[in-house]
Amino acid sequence: MLITNELVSQLINIMGLLSMVTIVSLALILTSKMERLKQLQFEAEKLKKSLEEMDEQAKLIVRTDMELNKTQEELDKKITGLYALQRLSRAVSTTLEENQIFKMIEAPYFEDLGFEKACAFLWNDKEKKFIDHINIGYLKDETETIKRLLDSERDIYSDLIKNARTISSISLIKDLDLKEKITEIFQVNSFVISPILPKEGDKGLFFVGTESVDTTIDEGDEELITILSNQLGQALENARLFEKTWRAHQELEQKVDERTRELTSAVDEIKKVSKRKSDFISAVSHELRTPLTSIKGYASILLTGKLGDIPQDVRERLDKINRHSDELVHLVNDLLDISRIESGGVTMKRETQELRYIVGYAFDLLSGQIKEKQLHFSFDIPDNANSVFVDHSQIERVFINLISNAIKFTPAQGTIIIRSYKMDKEIQVDIVDTGCGIPEKDRETIFEEFYRVDNTINETVKGTGLGLTLVKRIIEAHNGKIWVKSKEGSGSTFSFTLPQPV
Amino acid sequence: MQAGIGISTAKDLHQAAKEAVEQARIKISKNINLAIVFSSIEFAHPVILKTISRLLGSVNIIGCSSSVIISNQGILKHGLAIMLLSLPQDIHFNTAYVKDINASSITNAGEELGEKLLYGFKNIRRDLGIMLCDGLIPEGSRLIYGVQERLGKSFPLVGASTSNITGSNKTYLYFNESVLNDATCGIIWGGKLNFGLGVKHGWKALGKVRTATKSQGNTIYEIDNAPAAKLYEEYLDCDLSKLRKELKYISIFYPIGIYLTGEEEYLLRNIISITDDGSLHLQGNVPQGSLIRLMIGTKESCLNATRQAVDEVKNGLRGHQYNFILVFDSISRYILLGRQANQELEIIKENFGQDVPIVGLYTYGEQAPLRAINYQGRAYFHNQTITILAIGT
Repeated sequence: MLITNELVSQLINIMGLLSMVTIVSLALILTSKMERLKQLQFEAEKLKKSLEEMDEQAKLIVRTDMELNKTQEELDKKITGLYALQRLSRAVSTTLEENQIFKMIEAPYFEDLGFEKACAFLWNDKEKKFIDHINIGYLKDETETIKRLLDSERDIYSDLIKNARTISSISLIKDLDLKEKITEIFQVNSFVISPILPKEGDKGLFFVGTESVDTTIDEGDEELITILSNQLGQALENARLFEKTWRAHQELEQKVDERTRELTSAVDEIKKVSKRKSDFISAVSHELRTPLTSIKGYASILLTGKLGDIPQDVRERLDKINRHSDELVHLVNDLLDISRIESGGVTMKRETQELRYIVGYAFDLLSGQIKEKQLHFSFDIPDNANSVFVDHSQIERVFINLISNAIKFTPAQGTIIIRSYKMDKEIQVDIVDTGCGIPEKDRETIFEEFYRVDNTINETVKGTGLGLTLVKRIIEAHNGKIWVKSKEGSGSTFSFTLPQPV
Repeated sequence: MQAGIGISTAKDLHQAAKEAVEQARIKISKNINLAIVFSSIEFAHPVILKTISRLLGSVNIIGCSSSVIISNQGILKHGLAIMLLSLPQDIHFNTAYVKDINASSITNAGEELGEKLLYGFKNIRRDLGIMLCDGLIPEGSRLIYGVQERLGKSFPLVGASTSNITGSNKTYLYFNESVLNDATCGIIWGGKLNFGLGVKHGWKALGKVRTATKSQGNTIYEIDNAPAAKLYEEYLDCDLSKLRKELKYISIFYPIGIYLTGEEEYLLRNIISITDDGSLHLQGNVPQGSLIRLMIGTKESCLNATRQAVDEVKNGLRGHQYNFILVFDSISRYILLGRQANQELEIIKENFGQDVPIVGLYTYGEQAPLRAINYQGRAYFHNQTITILAIGT
């Protein structure tokens, strides 16, 4: 029993010892775990703090990002708006027809600007109402309703046009009544209205709007729409100006056509009259020649004495009759020649002739008169200006007429020179005298029929006034020109051109 | 398989359809079986579909309207794109639609679509399904669930929800000669079909991980036991009224991202509205208890995601031929990229060829399978992604 008790107490001691060791070990482990736990808690706290800090940073990032995105969106909107405006402007300026201008404006342009509805109305002063020209996003009856409502409140909108004022849903913050009215009329949440102001003709209003509550309008939108409506106004102005100019041009062309017709008719009439005149002169001249021939004939027979002696005074009077008859015949022949040349009744027989020869012939014919007045007569006709392609007999008459005139109007001991020059396709001939000259007022008219310069020589020396007319007709029949340069008291130069041989 | 694409922007509807069909027909020498039609709103008219039908005879037509359409000729805000397909005899397909979908019948509508698509496919191997649905139908996720009840949860399903940012608040589906609202339609393909799929968005997670402590369907009521909108109030330093004003930005640039285990990217959700009690109403569902974060996107990250999606398509094709490409691109990406929106199309064309027929649209949501193995290829409703599907034989 004693041994058993001892064993038990030893066992108890050992167990107690073991328990103590276990407890101590457990205490140690627990302490270590608690330390570890504390550490982990600390790490967790640190991590949580880091996460919180990162979360705060994330918030900063999100807020900054939001601002940047908004700025980017505004920028994108502006750039898209500018592109749309550029395309619209280009479209509108491709046509000069007023009706076509508005047809160029289509819905996609406005969608890029952020608006799905757009209208343009021009005020028609005659009909006293707004006429629609652009209608995007509205049905036909909706447009009619809008027009009716605009017409009933036309003063408000006329004021906008008059004051060149752009309004929008943001600018009308102080005029909420008007804003409400407009949003109701056009069935939109946001809008911009800008006046269309061409300098002439109907003016109007340009409206854009959106139903979307998400879309916000800003001053940039107002500016864009104002620019667009200005460009519309400019396009309309250009179209109207073009129309006006075109109409004026058409009217002018019409007037020119009318005038041309009138002138042509007048010219035809003149030609007819001229022909009638030439025919008349020709007819009368022919009729006159017969009796003149008889008068001259009988006067000549009487002068021969075949019908008996005639007293001296009778003879003198018969001489006068003869002389005057000759003059009349000469006049009639000249008239006949002029009228024949004018009517194309004379065919110019053109051949290569030598001017020296023709001038020599004329000189021979008139040498008596030249000698009588002791005139110095010469000619300067170089080899390269000697040949002409003319009707020999007609050109002789030209030289005879002009040299005769020179002789008539040059005082004694004066000078007459004939010169010729080779021009491009013609030969120019100058007949220069040192005569009394021709007053300036007479220089154009001296070539007209029956015209005689009013001077002392013409008062005393008789003439028909047809010589220069005949000369002009002959020169013109050779496709030449004739003109005169003169100085009163110094002399005259009669110049004319003749064709060269081909 | 032969594929041809035609585009028209003619104002006259009849002429537009004729022009697009004639252009698309140039590259096709055999019988045409299927016409895929995408158009902007103004072309959503029976005249278009009837003209196509008259010109092509008995051809199945499927398609929808969109704010902006995509083709290899460019992205168009106003236009009509028609893709014509001539399928070989060993490729089977079926088309179906369901209309008059209301809020209470969404899942049933999905089931009905699935059943109709399966008609005639009993003993045929099914490869791929494409569905188009009205983007204005709320809770599009339920539609997908309904379809998957019939086609199978792991069946590859790719799709798009129509979009309309013009303000008229209507979107349209096309099925044969009918133009439909509140509807969904789809195609199922079977036989020897090759396809490669790429789905990426490019948004990055920012800030702390949060938990959707209270949510149901498409609405998150609380995040970390506080009103859901508080998340945005904190990050953007603004109150509820300002948040509502800036909703367009917030929704596109800073959507909610749902963490999915094994997935490279978060599943995004756009915010449609914020209620007075601070609840966020989203475009897709967020299961209660989901780990969520605020997401941030940039133009650069967007375009990088497009490149990654292209790489995924190539990997999926494994060197097989492709005849045409479908692109379902989120309208948020179009708005974010702005004037660079066409860069995504250029990336696709650079990689797949300038002449390959490409057709697609910008969407309010995309349907596509997830990649991670734990999701078993199940299709989910996505936001803000670009979904590229290359198909060939």
